[in-house]
Amino acid sequence: MPPARTVRRAVTDENAEAIGTQRLTRAKAATLTDDVIAGDPPKKALTTKRSATNVTTGPLARKRTALGDVSNVAKKDPVEKDDLKKDVLSRATSLSKSAKPSGIQKQPARLNSTRAPLGQKSSNAAPSDLKRSGSGIGGPVNAKRVKSASKSEDTEASENVPPPKNGSSGKMKTEEKVKPASVEVDEGVDLESLEDLAKDLDTEDMDDPLMVAEYVHEIFDYMKQLEISTMPNPDYMDDQAELEWKMRGILVDWLLEVHTRFRLLPETLFLAVNIIDRFLSCKVVQLERLQLVGVTAMFIASKYEEVLSPHVQNFVHVADDGFPESEILSAERFVLTSLDYDLSYPNPMNFLRRISKADNYDIQTRTLGKYLLEIGCLDHRFLKHPPSLVAASAMYLARLVMNRGEWDATLVKYAGYTEEEIQPVFKLMVDYLAAPVAHDAFFKKYASKKFLKASIVLRQWAKKWAPEYLNGAVPQPSSGRTPS
Amino acid sequence: MDKRHPSSFQQLEKLGEGTYATVFKGRNGSTGQFVALKEIHLDSEEGTPSTAIREISLMKELKHENIVSLYDVIHTENKLMLVFEYMDKDLKKYMDSYQAPGGGPRGALEANTIKSFMWQLLRGIAFCHENRVLHRDLKPQNLLINTQGQLKLADFGLARAFGIPVNTFSNEVVTLWYRAPDVLLGSRTYNTSIDIWSAGCIMAEMFTGRPLFPGTTNEDQLQKIFRLMGTPSERSWPGISSFPEYKTTWPVYATQELRAILPQMDGLGLQLLGQMLQMRPEMRCSAQQALNHPWFAELNQRSQQQAAAQGQFAPVQGMVAGQQRAY
Repeated sequence: MPPARTVRRAVTDENAEAIGTQRLTRAKAATLTDDVIAGDPPKKALTTKRSATNVTTGPLARKRTALGDVSNVAKKDPVEKDDLKKDVLSRATSLSKSAKPSGIQKQPARLNSTRAPLGQKSSNAAPSDLKRSGSGIGGPVNAKRVKSASKSEDTEASENVPPPKNGSSGKMKTEEKVKPASVEVDEGVDLESLEDLAKDLDTEDMDDPLMVAEYVHEIFDYMKQLEISTMPNPDYMDDQAELEWKMRGILVDWLLEVHTRFRLLPETLFLAVNIIDRFLSCKVVQLERLQLVGVTAMFIASKYEEVLSPHVQNFVHVADDGFPESEILSAERFVLTSLDYDLSYPNPMNFLRRISKADNYDIQTRTLGKYLLEIGCLDHRFLKHPPSLVAASAMYLARLVMNRGEWDATLVKYAGYTEEEIQPVFKLMVDYLAAPVAHDAFFKKYASKKFLKASIVLRQWAKKWAPEYLNGAVPQPSSGRTPS
Repeated sequence: MDKRHPSSFQQLEKLGEGTYATVFKGRNGSTGQFVALKEIHLDSEEGTPSTAIREISLMKELKHENIVSLYDVIHTENKLMLVFEYMDKDLKKYMDSYQAPGGGPRGALEANTIKSFMWQLLRGIAFCHENRVLHRDLKPQNLLINTQGQLKLADFGLARAFGIPVNTFSNEVVTLWYRAPDVLLGSRTYNTSIDIWSAGCIMAEMFTGRPLFPGTTNEDQLQKIFRLMGTPSERSWPGISSFPEYKTTWPVYATQELRAILPQMDGLGLQLLGQMLQMRPEMRCSAQQALNHPWFAELNQRSQQQAAAQGQFAPVQGMVAGQQRAY
């Protein structure tokens, strides 16, 4: 494998991130392989466009030659029928292919067919996702993976940790649980009747600069305004001639991989998805430009959120040179102008952390909550709900699964929503979990140990309990326990 | 194609040049109104700079009388032009050219002017912080004033929105002289308190006409601070030894009285300054707390009366309420 690396470096003059990408794609490729087998009736509507896109093999071909690579061959002819699928994202696959000169252990045929993300559209229902992802990981993904994985772990892991208690020591506050039972009522959420019962947990943060306790109310009030002003049109797909919701899901699922490999902050993913949705709410986009929109959104979000954002070149590469840098840069300008430079989207992570505070920063529920919150990125049905409500539902469901007790006044206060208000979004989440895996990368990401196998655990739970909750068999208000 | 075009503004003299932008005075061709035109050259490599993306997005949110207004953004192929409200001078130039009628060192402003400027500065900062924005580059050059004596925060190129808890950020922020000790020590988990330190430095500078801590390097900057504030230790600042830039070789300075170097300041002013210039970030007062300091009593009262006269709630009352709530 080392040779692969070298070659890649030489060609692209890329840094570690690009390498990460390459790995990603490979893994993905392996994983997705079976999709093809599962076979998906290609979307007819897409067919034409697809082929149009594919014609753009120009850059790809060039690249391969540069690599003096072998795998191309396979690239070309594989499962022809799948051509249609080489969609929005298909390019990513080919990137990995070309990058890997040795290509030996890789069955080229798989690779090609692999990506087919769009193809997935119709085949979402493929039942064996679990197995697939398993094999994907075990396969060609090699040791190189380890490094990046552990790296990204850092970012993500830190996310699963309560905020450091004070800036200087960076130690986590362990006495968090010893909450002052004192009921210092402060005006917060509007639910006045509950106010008296809710604990004021902000007082204890007065000596923790990172919690910005002196402004915490103003800031959350403000974010509640912003979350409304930055909501996309939940029905924008009605106006998109060439797109459909499933493609958005595929795009986001792929972006999630890119996000992981670039080791970006959780905030960046959420912002990128919001940029995509708001942009698509005001501009009609051709199918073949959808990936460009996604990449550009991630590029912009990185610039806004990250301390160091990846170079544009990296984004060109993850998209397998499907478009030149100049195109991303001009798309950047166009997207920013279309959004009137408004990137004020209040990140859902803020709301999740806020609720987690009322949950003693319980790492288990929070990790499950994170996964559930990200469902909101992938499944378009959440678009019409504000991020704070999605975050509340995520924590609600996570606590329910973990049997953490009722949704009490303190949780209501910090979440800003009662159990009743949460129900509709809660049910959407349960429904998503009960349905067959539609987003492989997403599922896989959270199937790992470091995420406490959230995606697996939650699916198992849903398999058992979804019918009860979806049919309303469980009475309200619940006891906060899964009925046994 | 945007109908707004750079040519709809007449470009006048250059007002300043930064690392990523040049600022010109300009005149709106149709209204004759003066504006400040900030021209940002677009890097053909990386497109729109992240500084510009943040600055525009944040400035569009921050509408306040003590924050300079962004009127428009014109994005062309090779440059990005931000059209700002025109202000006469920046505080640096204002101080440089000021000679108090009663004598005193050049650049030192009069007490009443300083109080008014500080009050406005803190109001601008408080507004940023309430709207989850850190400015991160407060210094006299970035504070603009006009002939009516208004002061406004400008240049949000280093600003960014923060979450709660605050994420880790780059520690390469804030011009050296105004950089807080925790940032100098390598902290990346700073928060709103870094803007307060800068405000304290600016306050002292307005009194003396000279920067309070004109360091030349990171290390020199720290030592200049220690010479006045005393060299910190684990005893005075628990946890300090875990900062990346902590050194056991620092010369040990004793804490000096602020009044010794700022004899021209009154007692209340010194007290307020002392609350802003706390070495430990968690000990620094917030902008709201500073505004509620008795040093500003008169200004707060006047502003409340004005607001009452206009039939509005006085903003300062709101701040007081906010504070009670926090405790």
